[in-house]
Amino acid sequence: MDMKADRKLSLKDRYRHLTRGLGWETSYQKMDDVFPYDKYEGIKIHDWDKWEDPFRLTMDAYWKYQAEKERKLYAVLDAFVQSNGHLNVTDARYINAIKLFFCAFPPLEYMAHRGFSMAGRQFRGVGTRVACQMQSIDEIRHMQTQMHTASNYNRYYNGIHAMIHQLPRIWYMSVPKSFFDDAITAGPFEWMVAIGFSFEYVLTNLVFVPFMSGAAFNGDLGTMTFGFSAQSDEARHMTLGLECIKFMLEQDPANVPIVQRWIDKWTWRGVRVLALVGMMMDYMLPKRIMSWQEAWEIYFEQNGGALFKDLARYGIKIPDCVEQATLEKEHISHQLWAGIYQWNFGTALHAWIPGDDELDWLSAKYPNSFDKYYRPRLEAWREMAKDGKRFMNTGLAMNCQVCQYPTIFTEPGDPSTLCHRELDYKGEKYHFCSDHCKTIFEHEPEKYVQSWLPMPQLYQGTCGGGGVQEWMDWVHLVPGQDNMDFEGSQDQRNFALWKGLASSNK
Amino acid sequence: MQIDLQTINIKPLRQNFDHLTARFGDKPASRYQEATYDIQQTYLYHYKPTWEPELEIFDERRTAIRMKDWYDFKDPRQFYYGTYTLARSRMQDAADAAFEFALDSGMPETLPDAARRLIVEVLVPMRHYEWGANMNNTFISAYGYGTAIEAACMFAAMDRLGIAQQLSRVGLAVDGEAALDDAKARWMDAAEFQPLRRLVEDTFVAKDWFELFVAQNLAMDGWLHPFLYTHVEQLSLKESGAFFGLSSKFQKDWSAETVRWVDAMVKAAIGDSDANRNLVAGWVVHYTARTREAVEALATAVFGDEAASVVSVIDEAFAARLTKIGL
Amino acid sequence: MSVTAIREYIGEPRDVVANYHGNQLLYICWDRHLMFAAPFIFMVPPDMKFEEVLTQLVAPVIQPHPDAAKIEWRTTSWERGGALGDVPWQPDFDRSVAENGLVHKTWLRFRAPGLDGLAGAGI
Repeated sequence: MDMKADRKLSLKDRYRHLTRGLGWETSYQKMDDVFPYDKYEGIKIHDWDKWEDPFRLTMDAYWKYQAEKERKLYAVLDAFVQSNGHLNVTDARYINAIKLFFCAFPPLEYMAHRGFSMAGRQFRGVGTRVACQMQSIDEIRHMQTQMHTASNYNRYYNGIHAMIHQLPRIWYMSVPKSFFDDAITAGPFEWMVAIGFSFEYVLTNLVFVPFMSGAAFNGDLGTMTFGFSAQSDEARHMTLGLECIKFMLEQDPANVPIVQRWIDKWTWRGVRVLALVGMMMDYMLPKRIMSWQEAWEIYFEQNGGALFKDLARYGIKIPDCVEQATLEKEHISHQLWAGIYQWNFGTALHAWIPGDDELDWLSAKYPNSFDKYYRPRLEAWREMAKDGKRFMNTGLAMNCQVCQYPTIFTEPGDPSTLCHRELDYKGEKYHFCSDHCKTIFEHEPEKYVQSWLPMPQLYQGTCGGGGVQEWMDWVHLVPGQDNMDFEGSQDQRNFALWKGLASSNK
Repeated sequence: MQIDLQTINIKPLRQNFDHLTARFGDKPASRYQEATYDIQQTYLYHYKPTWEPELEIFDERRTAIRMKDWYDFKDPRQFYYGTYTLARSRMQDAADAAFEFALDSGMPETLPDAARRLIVEVLVPMRHYEWGANMNNTFISAYGYGTAIEAACMFAAMDRLGIAQQLSRVGLAVDGEAALDDAKARWMDAAEFQPLRRLVEDTFVAKDWFELFVAQNLAMDGWLHPFLYTHVEQLSLKESGAFFGLSSKFQKDWSAETVRWVDAMVKAAIGDSDANRNLVAGWVVHYTARTREAVEALATAVFGDEAASVVSVIDEAFAARLTKIGL
Repeated sequence: MSVTAIREYIGEPRDVVANYHGNQLLYICWDRHLMFAAPFIFMVPPDMKFEEVLTQLVAPVIQPHPDAAKIEWRTTSWERGGALGDVPWQPDFDRSVAENGLVHKTWLRFRAPGLDGLAGAGI
């Protein structure tokens, strides 16, 4: 376009002029006052100009590429809505997987957006701010396209209607919500390690890919289209996260132990959140992509392994928690589904006992754990349900002070014993699901004493009263509609009815 | 003849998410409404921010104004990401066509000196002003309250980056990298830019995000954009024809659209309470005075004896705009 | 260790005993009975007799398990959680929660002799 004047400029230099060249050292106000938040974490940056732009996208190109993607996405979404595309999913149980996705992701994409707005203002490096700002509006995009996709499911199926109300109230949403609250209350550098690096780079294939592939495998054109459309955004986000890490590590060796501590913390917090994804992959997709164990092996042990080999030259080592996460790959999905099943009265999604072919798939995929530890409980529950005594755990569950799960995880190496760790801090007891959650607390106790834990809160009477019925009203969970077994649910009846309407002349 | 395509009609269980039904009733919400209302959490945060432990992650106390409903800051343009990027890509296409025409016609090479100087000495340095506006709108997006206004401010922040990039391209077209280096030097050191740069840097340390909105998007842009894209452009037109205008199409189209949004935000705030009105009026007085000083310095450098009359025209137009808003 | 923050950062714990209106929290785990996915959390008055905690609060929620009916509470053996790990603990079934030295948010685990859960896997 303006080739004549600047053909001597390389692409890299041109981009620098159009981004970091815009900034200046302020003189009427101190730079430290203009950028008050980028030093307190102790990360030393000596030369912001050493920042390598992870991608080069000027706004004119951004608007054009993104508008084109939006046009295509909404065309598919409109067609999906108009043709009752939701009836093409493999099995109406699948919709519960997508309820988990839609109830958690949009408000949390929104948190990512706000966090990147903050980083997009607070880093004094201009190139860094530009990349963060682009991610900030990408996250708006993801939130909004997800809301638009969810909208159609909400009209026809239960459990999604109260998603905004439920995110800060319903017990299992405490897990991902506290994750993002933790990241956004950190400073900008830790934010980048938590979200930009750990979530968007290291763990992204273990979050995004399973849900989107799950959609593709199970005939969910709407969600699948969102996923494919978001891929190139995610590619940019990955490069930003990786550049951030490298930049911090290269700027000063004193940054290395700080960054290591953050990588350790956020890998563990991320692994814990991912139990929800593992459960979804192993139990909630009628047409499964692969097992959680397989996904962990490919995307963390292999890909992650290669990444940490690359970072070793900076002095970064694989987080200690990876050992436990690897041991647990054979267990956490089963442990969490067992929890969802027994507390199903308190979930905005349906549960079920897997069918025989699905139990056999689980046996094959988990030869070391499933038949010994998990099949027996599922089969016992199946028998109880047949006898009219559907198993319910009407007791309230202990929560981990850090990850906020009910403490369903077992001792590493002993899957028959629930893991318990405890400490005293300023005269109060605190409990944890694991050594790694306990370590996170020990490094920042004043942060985690603040956790709003669902079950202790219920007993305090802050959740509508003190009892379970009041709690259900308070979280806007409609009993007999949003919760409990898929078998006999309105979702099941409606799906069958509508599919019948769509394919017969009765 | 009417074509009446049939689709299989299934009666939905509900039209909306609960939070939208609560606001709008049981009729289908618009895409803008679904994308915007009540997305930002308000109820509970697990931890206090380490960057501001006295307040919550999202906190109404980050501004002195109060709103009964933060979603009264709804965008009259109803931009969500899809419609926003579509609008901008169209605006960019039109701007690109105009600029390409100017380049293909060899305008940069044949600019008379006076016109060249206006571009290099006045227009291109304003890329730094635009970058300041990017920073301020990003601040509002970071610390503002309610999805409606903050998301629109993040869109606005990216708009300012886009404009800054366009101004940079104009500089590169006219005089290569030297133009950008000179523009930066002017921004930093030329006397006529210092009141503006000082004002911009003062906004960088403002803490109240709605004050910043009024300062940047109403007062400063409300003067600077007419100064550049009406008055300086007219001068340039007299000197040398269309290059200035053809290079600035985006800014003019954008300004016309954005002013609607800015005015609506200010109206919503002052309409909510007299307390808000008084706060906003105070901010307007303060930042208009500072902006006027900045524009006077620039106008004197550009228009010489005509400066006072240019400033007076801008002043009147801005005052009329304020009256329309209700200030 | 303190939180890295821009200024002093002191967190307010949300679950202090004062928030429970004269009651306290007590966690109880039935060892090797993973049919119950997590330890239970109960809210108890400090003067509640320990045996009544078991018969009135614990027994109803564990009732769906085939082993539950076989429990004789006074034959159960216990551990109590601590910062250095879980240690053996002997309850006085006739005395109160407070008299047993159980403070707010105490964690306990019990076994009933001969009851090892289902399938030889602690279910």
